[in-house]
Order: sequence, then structure tokens, then C-alpha cells
Amino acid sequence: MSDLDRYKLHPATFLELKLRMNYQHRAIAQLRACRPIPEAQVRELCHKARELLIEEGNVVTVTAPVTICGDIHGQFHDLMELFRVGGDVPDTNYLFMGDFVDRGFYSLESFLLLLCLKVRYPDRMTLIRGNHESRQITTVYGFYDECLRKYGSANVWRYCCEVFDYLALGAIVLGASTSLGESKGLMPEKSSSTQPDDEGIEIELLNHTGGVIDRFPRGQARNGARSSPSTKSSSSPAAKTGPPGTAASGYSRGSVGNTSGAVLCVHGGLSPLIDGIDKIRLLDRKQEVPHDGAMCDLLWSDPDEIDGWGLSPRGAGFLFGADIVKVFNHANDLSMIARAHQLVMEGFKEMFDNSIVTVWSAPNYCYRCGNIAAILELSEDGSGESMLARSNGEVNRSDGGVMKPSDRVLLAGPARRYRVFQAAPQDSRGMPAKKPVADYFL
Amino acid sequence: MSAPQIPNLLASRGGPRSRGGRGRGRGGGSTHTTQNRKDLDIQSTDTDAAVSRLSAVSLGYINDPYAAYFVNGAGTRRLPIINRGTYTRTTALDILINAFLSESNDTPPQKRQIISLGAGTDTRYFRLRAQNKHRNLIYHEFDFPTVCTTKSRIVSSNEALSKGDGNATMFVEPTKPTEPDSDPEPEWGFRARDGESETIYCCHPLDLRRLPYSPSMKELNSFHGIQSDIPTLLISECCLCYLEVDNARDVVKWFANRIPSLGIILYEPIGVDSPFGQMMVANLAARNITMPTVKVYKNLRDQKDRLSEMGFTDSDGGQGGETIERIWDQWVSSEEKERVDSLEGLDEVEEWQMLARHYAVVWGWRGSSGWESWKELL
Repeated sequence: MSDLDRYKLHPATFLELKLRMNYQHRAIAQLRACRPIPEAQVRELCHKARELLIEEGNVVTVTAPVTICGDIHGQFHDLMELFRVGGDVPDTNYLFMGDFVDRGFYSLESFLLLLCLKVRYPDRMTLIRGNHESRQITTVYGFYDECLRKYGSANVWRYCCEVFDYLALGAIVLGASTSLGESKGLMPEKSSSTQPDDEGIEIELLNHTGGVIDRFPRGQARNGARSSPSTKSSSSPAAKTGPPGTAASGYSRGSVGNTSGAVLCVHGGLSPLIDGIDKIRLLDRKQEVPHDGAMCDLLWSDPDEIDGWGLSPRGAGFLFGADIVKVFNHANDLSMIARAHQLVMEGFKEMFDNSIVTVWSAPNYCYRCGNIAAILELSEDGSGESMLARSNGEVNRSDGGVMKPSDRVLLAGPARRYRVFQAAPQDSRGMPAKKPVADYFL
Repeated sequence: MSAPQIPNLLASRGGPRSRGGRGRGRGGGSTHTTQNRKDLDIQSTDTDAAVSRLSAVSLGYINDPYAAYFVNGAGTRRLPIINRGTYTRTTALDILINAFLSESNDTPPQKRQIISLGAGTDTRYFRLRAQNKHRNLIYHEFDFPTVCTTKSRIVSSNEALSKGDGNATMFVEPTKPTEPDSDPEPEWGFRARDGESETIYCCHPLDLRRLPYSPSMKELNSFHGIQSDIPTLLISECCLCYLEVDNARDVVKWFANRIPSLGIILYEPIGVDSPFGQMMVANLAARNITMPTVKVYKNLRDQKDRLSEMGFTDSDGGQGGETIERIWDQWVSSEEKERVDSLEGLDEVEEWQMLARHYAVVWGWRGSSGWESWKELL
């Protein structure tokens, strides 16, 4: 049966669809080769993307499995490495937590490729807004200049900024399993068909070839998540990546193989003006990122080792402590918050008893920092109930957000598979790449 | 070997290739070419610094009306962390140098001397002159001959630079032909117009690496106007780090053996063992730039030990050192931080901290008088 029969389409509509797919296919191929597409195509792409994004809520609901990624910052070749390590689209579902542009030399190609993939596979790609998806920031940090350089006018920059205004502010991942499952990313060749102890693993750390660096069974309580766990001596094939900035959770309960609590994904963090996810849903997001207020905070804030709220050294957003995260997660049935925004040398860092994680996906940031990058895979629970009804932000709010010690029952955290990777060699896969020269004080 | 992304504007103005190698007495053939090439790459770091300075000036971080003269064209806007770094580096040097000069307020005024190594396009002398801080100061600069010649051309063709304070006149002092291995470019500078016609600023064209080993440069008076009997401050802002470790030490010792009351400020990268530091070494190597000293002096402690080894010890003087990160945190007032932050906003806090903790300013001195205000800084 042909597509024509299957979908009962009018032949003209079918032809148009075919053509459009073909065109999208070509644009994706061109962008994958790190070549910008013509201005007219950018305009059409951005127009389509806006039509798509306008239908999304401020907080997009995503169901596991999904691979969560942090800042990209125009490091196109490293984005290609990310897809190689994590699995290609549409085989792998991706959620990018913003900061696609600025700093790197290929913001344009990186963002347009992600946008093309979003338009082509809308249910498999989720893009949320970072603080760099802003007119003001991109004029300082490179994206504006890059567009001007590559097109000779600011038109493309303007089209992209209009898309930025429509990007969702956050996403909520439902149906993530408490045990690790299959992955479309690179996996080591297994000697037996399955690894019997997969079930009990809460955190698995893989290197860029899919080799296991470390695994942490659930319930191996290691509180004080800032300290790195001692690396298992027997299993460190890629010792250079170092131990993760994390530890298996002492808080997470729940039996293996169940659906975990939801995971909120947001670029920066929490806001003192937002005590529930529903408050985020009420924001009017279709605008330039404001200098202050809830929307600004979501894109700018950082977790920090403080009590309550603090002033941010960035001049926008706030610092928030473990108590804030725990109260928020509890009140919103979250097991975890995943965010990006901050460079972490190990690629990811879990804090506050695994209640929040920073994921950073730009290796050797700015071609200068020498850090490794990470992506976070959440598996589906396999029960087929990923779409179970949830009441985000509606439960247990009668206490006004104040948590009694006896209430302190956190939902089981999802099993996390972190893949870490280093910067792509600059001339890998025949990509045309000028040698990036980082700035130093000389 | 990759060409530096930013061409050395000064070198191209000065036509280095036409003059390359004359009188250097340094082997021949391909070794010479490679060495010359490397020298040009190192000189290109000065263009980097000049462009960074102009960027910081244009955006209001620092005030330097002379920065634009030393950059071809409108310049390039640097990233906020680089601008903040340029600001902090400049502020640190300003604080130390102003403290050194402030003792000139004593009566009778004590003459002082600054010797800036690898000064390149640095505008500090002109800024001191504009602030009227040059009255009892003799200012010397050393750099590659091509750099000095080009600087001379830029200064003499711009009145704001050449006119001085009306009491000085520009001079050019041809190198004595009797010295076979001397560089052919002349020393130049300013001398007082009145009476004694004393040198107040002088630019010495010299490949500094040769200083400790050249038979013709045994005496201080091989160089125009350098005095041995006044408190003298040596400055190396990312200069000695490009020399071999022993060579760098011998250059400082050359001055230390001839000037009793001597202070020194070193500004260079540290922390080369961290992932950031390793990447820095690799990135600079791709530009054909190596920094031998950073591989040996890896942290503030090493840098201070280095000063001790060169005679700047607590027994006869003192020493201090801070990272750029600490200088920003501790030396810059909160009002000034607020002003600087408001210029562009700085999003990249983690990157700033990482970058800033990989650069250090260390300083030391020896000699009984002339360094009181530096003691107070500690």
C-alpha cells in the first residue's frame, strides 16, 4: 500500500508534502555538512518553526525515552559528535535545554540544523529556550556578528530571534524508568545478550564509544553529592574523563523498574516567583527575555550551596539552595530538575542529594576550557503507561510549600545514563573547519 | 604551522621581512627563517594585546586615548570576559605602578625609573604623561627592533603622542657603528627641552634574549639614559614568559646586577597543569607560541620562589602575588565592579573565574628605600 492510499491524501496534497519533505531533507543534509542554507530557506524554516512552536505550551510534556542535552553554543562539530555518541535523529529523541547559539563559530548552522530537525521530527525533538536565545545577548556574544558575516545582512538573525521568542521555557519528562533500558546511542558490544545487573543501576556513566566508565547501584547511599565517588578501580577504561560529580542517591526510593517521578527541564533554574509548574504555564513567553521576573529567572538562575535565595553574580536570575529545590520538587511531584547554563568540567554535576543536575554539552567550551561534555539519557519505563495522567503542581500544595520532615518522601529518581564525550577533532569527517583560535591575554 | 589569525599589523607596517636577520649573527639558512617566523608569531601577541586594549577602551572599561593609534582600523570587539580581564590586568598594574610613583611626592622629589620589557605597543608612558605622573620619571622600553621602529613611526606621525607636554622633544640616537652585533635600528625617545636635555623616555630596539650574553652590552650605559642609582621598576607583561627559563632569569639578573634598588612586576599565565591550562598550551602551540616559563612556574608559590631566586626576598625587600581572579574580587571596589559590570553584562561567570585564575601578577623588590608604598600594599 502506498502512502497515498494509506493516508487517503489528495494527490496534489500528497505531491506538495512529498516536495516539502524533499526540500527539508535537502536542507538537513546541507546543514549537516555545516553549510548555511540560503536566506529565503531560512525565512521559510523559521516561519514553519514558529507555527509549530506556537502550539507548544510554555512547559512541553515529553515522554521517555529521551536524551537531555545542555548548552551547545555554536560548536557545530561537537553537536555532530553528540549525535554520533547519543544516536541520530529520529532514532533517538532529544531534548535540548537551550543556548544553541553564541560563542562558537557555527551558531547559525547548529541552530538551523536543530530547527530543521524540529520541523521534520516535531515529536522527537524538543527545544527549549536558553538565556542566549535573546536579541540582546546574541549581539554581544557572537551570533549577530556571525549572521552578518555569513549573509551580509541581519535578516537571518532577525528571523532566528523571532523563533527564539516562541521557544518553550521548560519541559517535563514523564514516564522515565527507575531502571536503565535500551538505548539508540553507542553501546559496548556485550558478551551476553543482557547485562543481568542493569536493573539495579541508578547511574551509569559511559564514554564516547559507549564503554562503561562507572555504574552506581540504587540505594548505595552517598550523601553530599558534591564530592566525587571513588572510581571503581576495575572499570575505568576512560580514566581521563574522571569521576562524575555525582553519587548514587541515598534519597531515592521505590522499587526497580517503576516509573519515576517527573523530571523538570529548564535552562537556568528556579524563580522566587514560581512555586509550581502551573505558574510557568501562565507566563506570556512570546517576547524577548526580560531583564527580570519569572521568565528571566528560569533562564538565568543557578543552584548554589546556600540556604534559600541569593543574588546572582550574573546580574540576572537568582542563586537557589538545596532547600528551595527540595520544596519545589516535592510540591510538584518531581524527582529531579535537569538544567544546563553552567559550565561543569566533568560534563554533568548532580547536586543536593541528586535533586538537580547540571548537564553541559559543549566540550572544550569556547575551544579553550578543556572540559568534557555530557548528555543524559532517561529510559522509558516499559509499562506502556508513560502517558499516565499526572497532576503537575497540584498535589500537596495545601501546606503552602512548607515541608514537614514527616512529609519528606521524595519520588524515586529515574535511572540516569550519562554519556560523556570530548571535543570533535577539528577536521574530522571531512568537515570544513577553520582552526579556531581562542582568545588569551598575551 | 598555522598563520596567526590576526596578522601582526605592526610587523607588516614595519616591513619585517626586508630587514629580517641583519646584524643578528644567529646562524643562517632555514634555522634562521624558522626562528624569525617564531619571533613574528611572538610579536603578533602584542597585536593581540593592542586589539584587546582598544576593545576595552571602546567599551568604556579603561580610559586610554592612545590605544587607537596602535591598532589598524576600527579594531575588534572582544568578549566580555576578555574585556574584564584586560581591565583587571590594567588595574592591577596601575595600582602597583601608581604606588611606586606616589613616593615621588616626597621632598626633595626622588627620581624614579621604569623599564618595561617587551613593551610593544603599550601606551603606559603616554598615559602617565597625560596624568602628569611623569615629572620625576625616566621610562624605558625594550622590544624587538622592528617593533620599536614601527612604534617610533606611529609616535612621530601622531601629534597627540609626539608633542608631549610641550617640554620635551623627540630624539633619535643612531646606534654606534663600532658595535658589530648591535641592532641597526636607532634608539629613540623624548628628552627634556630645557637645560640638561635629560632623557625622559627611551625605546631600546633589542632582542632581549641576547642581553645577558652579548659582549657589547656589558654595561648599563650601553643603553641610552638608563641610570643605576635610582629606584627602578622592571615590568614584564607577558614578555619573559616567551623566553627560555634560564634566559628569562638571566635577563632579570642582568638588571639586578647593575641596579641596586630594583623592583619587578611579572604578569603571566599560571596553572598550566589544569585542563584549561593544557588547552591553553595546545592552542598557543597551534599559533607557534610557546611559554617555557609557565611549564616551570605553575602557581603563585612557584612564581614567588622564582622572585626569591632572583634576589627579591623578604630579607632585603619583599614580594607579593595574586591571581587575576583575586585581584578582581579584592582590589576592585564594589562601585567600580558595578560600573564595569554594567558596561556589557557578564554572563559567563564560570568561564571568567577559570580564565582569571590562570593569570597572575607577582611583584617583588629589594633595596632599602623607595619601596615603602609597596610594603603598605601587602
